[in-house]
Amino acid sequence: MPNPITRSKSWGNPCPLNAIIVIAMLSLRAGVCNAGEDSSTSLLSFSGFGTLGAVHSNDDKADFTANLLQPNGAGHTHSWSTGVDSRLGAQATVHLAPQLSAMLQVISEQRSDDSYQPHVEWANITYQPTPELSVRLGRIVLPTFLLSDSRKVGYANPWVRPPVEVYGLSPVFDSDGADASYKMNVGDVVNTLVGTYGKTRFGVPGGGAVKASRLRVIADTIEYGPLTLHFAYQASSYTYDAFDPLFDAFRQFGARGMALADRYDLDNKLAQLLTAGAAYDPGQWFLMGEWGRRNLHSAIGKSTAWYLSSGYRLAKFTPYLTYTATQANSIASDPGLNVSALPPYLAGTAAGLNAALDSILASTPVQNTVSVGSRWDLVKNVDLKLQYDRIDLGRGSAGVLINVQPGFHPGGTVNLLSVTIDFVW
Amino acid sequence: MAGMNCVGLRAIFGLALSLAVGPVAADVVAIVSPASAITSLSKTQVVDIFLGKTSRFPDGTQAVPIDQEEGSPVRDEFYAVYAGKSAAQMKSHWAKIVFTGRGQPPKTSSSSIKVKSIVAANPRAIGYIERSAVDSSVKVLLP
Repeated sequence: MPNPITRSKSWGNPCPLNAIIVIAMLSLRAGVCNAGEDSSTSLLSFSGFGTLGAVHSNDDKADFTANLLQPNGAGHTHSWSTGVDSRLGAQATVHLAPQLSAMLQVISEQRSDDSYQPHVEWANITYQPTPELSVRLGRIVLPTFLLSDSRKVGYANPWVRPPVEVYGLSPVFDSDGADASYKMNVGDVVNTLVGTYGKTRFGVPGGGAVKASRLRVIADTIEYGPLTLHFAYQASSYTYDAFDPLFDAFRQFGARGMALADRYDLDNKLAQLLTAGAAYDPGQWFLMGEWGRRNLHSAIGKSTAWYLSSGYRLAKFTPYLTYTATQANSIASDPGLNVSALPPYLAGTAAGLNAALDSILASTPVQNTVSVGSRWDLVKNVDLKLQYDRIDLGRGSAGVLINVQPGFHPGGTVNLLSVTIDFVW
Repeated sequence: MAGMNCVGLRAIFGLALSLAVGPVAADVVAIVSPASAITSLSKTQVVDIFLGKTSRFPDGTQAVPIDQEEGSPVRDEFYAVYAGKSAAQMKSHWAKIVFTGRGQPPKTSSSSIKVKSIVAANPRAIGYIERSAVDSSVKVLLP
C-alpha cells in the first residue's frame, strides 16, 4: 500500500508524471523558439494565481476550515488563521500542435498533514480535434459544481471562498483518468456536455485515507448570454479507512453486528452527488445559486445544501450577500447492538460501539450562514475582499466546525471575519 | 462660501458633461475582412466569440478573434459596451478558463492599425476598432 497521506503519483495512473516530463522538455525548446516573437503566439505559457488570507472566529472552542481536508483553522487552533484561505498556484501550458496541448498546475496550500508541500492539482494532455470536442487524459478537477474546478482561484470568484456547506458535501474534487467535452451551439445557446471517468486517493486529517474508484461525473452547462445553468451527477465507489477498526469490532458481535457493519461501513460504498446551479450576470450585478444533494450509502449518509448569492458592482467595489443552508437527510442514531441480550462482560463494549456509531451518524453538519462582504478591485490583477459570516448551528450540531473542544456549545452562533488579497499573473 | 459654491457647481457641471460625452467618446465597432461572408452579428454573438464561448460564426465558419491590448481605452470600451464587463471582470472571466485548462484568451494586437491589417488579411478574423479608424480595408459588422 502506498503512503495514504500523499497523493502518490505511482498510484495507478502514470499520466501526471508523463505530463510533467513533456512540459519540462518543451519548456526548454520553447525558450529558444519563442525568443523575440510576439507573445501572443507563444508555444508555452506560464501563469499563476494566489490568495493571502486571514480568518478570525469568535469561538475558540472549535475550528472553522474552508474544506474537509484542512486539519485546523480559525477559532481553537488559531485566533487568526492564515491557512484557511491562503494558497499559491503556478501553471504551465504547452501547445504541442494546433489540436494538442498539455497543462500542469501545482498548488501550495494547507494540506491534511498541515504541511504546505506543493501538489499537482492538474496535469493532463488535451486533444481537441475540433473546436467543439476535446478529450483530456491525466489529472482533472471535476466539474461537479458551477465553480468546482475554479474554486481555488480567488480572483475568479466573487467571494472570499465558495460556500463551505455546498462545496463541502463531498471531499472528492479531482480524478486521475479521462474526460471528454462536447460543445454544441443552437442559435445563441451554447451547451457543453462533459463526461469523466477515473479514480482518486487522498489523505484526510487524522491520518485516514479516502479512495474513490470508478469515479464518474456527467455534467451539462447551458449558456445563453448572461445566463448559465449547470447540472451534474457524480458517483464513485467510496472507501474511507479510518472507521475500519470500529466496524471490524461490530463484526465480532454475530449476525446483528455483521449487518450493522455492512450497512454503515465505508468500504467500497456507492457515493452519489447530484447538483443543480444557475448564475445570471449581465455585468452590473449577479445572482447565483446552487443546490447539491449527497448520498453516501454508509454511516455518513445523506445531506442537502444550497446557497443563493447576489452582488452589485459599484465602480471598483462589488458588495455581496449570500445565504447558505445545509441539513442532514438520514437518521441521526441507530438502536445498534442489543446490549441487554449480551453477557455483562460484553455489554460495556457493545454500548461503546453503539455510541461511536451514533456519533458518526449525528456528525452530518446542520447549519445556515449569512455572509456579507465586498470585493474591491484594488489594482490591475489584484483584489481585496472583506467578508463577515454569521453561522447559526443547527440544534445539537457542531456544523462544519472541527476540533471541537470541551465547553463548546453545539447549536450556537459563530461569527467569522475574513480578509483576503487575490492575485493572478 | 461663494468660492465653495463655485467649486461645487463646476464639479456637478463636469460630471454632467462627462456623463453626456462618455459613451459617445469612443464608438467601437466590430470588423471583419471584406472577404468574409459575415455582414451582421448581434452583440451577444460578438461577445460569445470574444469570451471564448464559441469558436464559430453563426454560419459555422471558424472565427478567430483579435483582441486589443490590456489597458487600452478601445478594449475597455468594447467590453463595457458589448459585454457589460470591466477590465477586472474580463480578467476574472479568463482566470476561470485558463486555470481550468479550458482555453486561452484571444491573441492581442497592439493597435487598431494592426488589428485592421490582421483582419483585412484573414477572412476568419474578427476584431474591433474605433469607428473613426475604419477604412475600406475592413468591413464593419452591423449590429
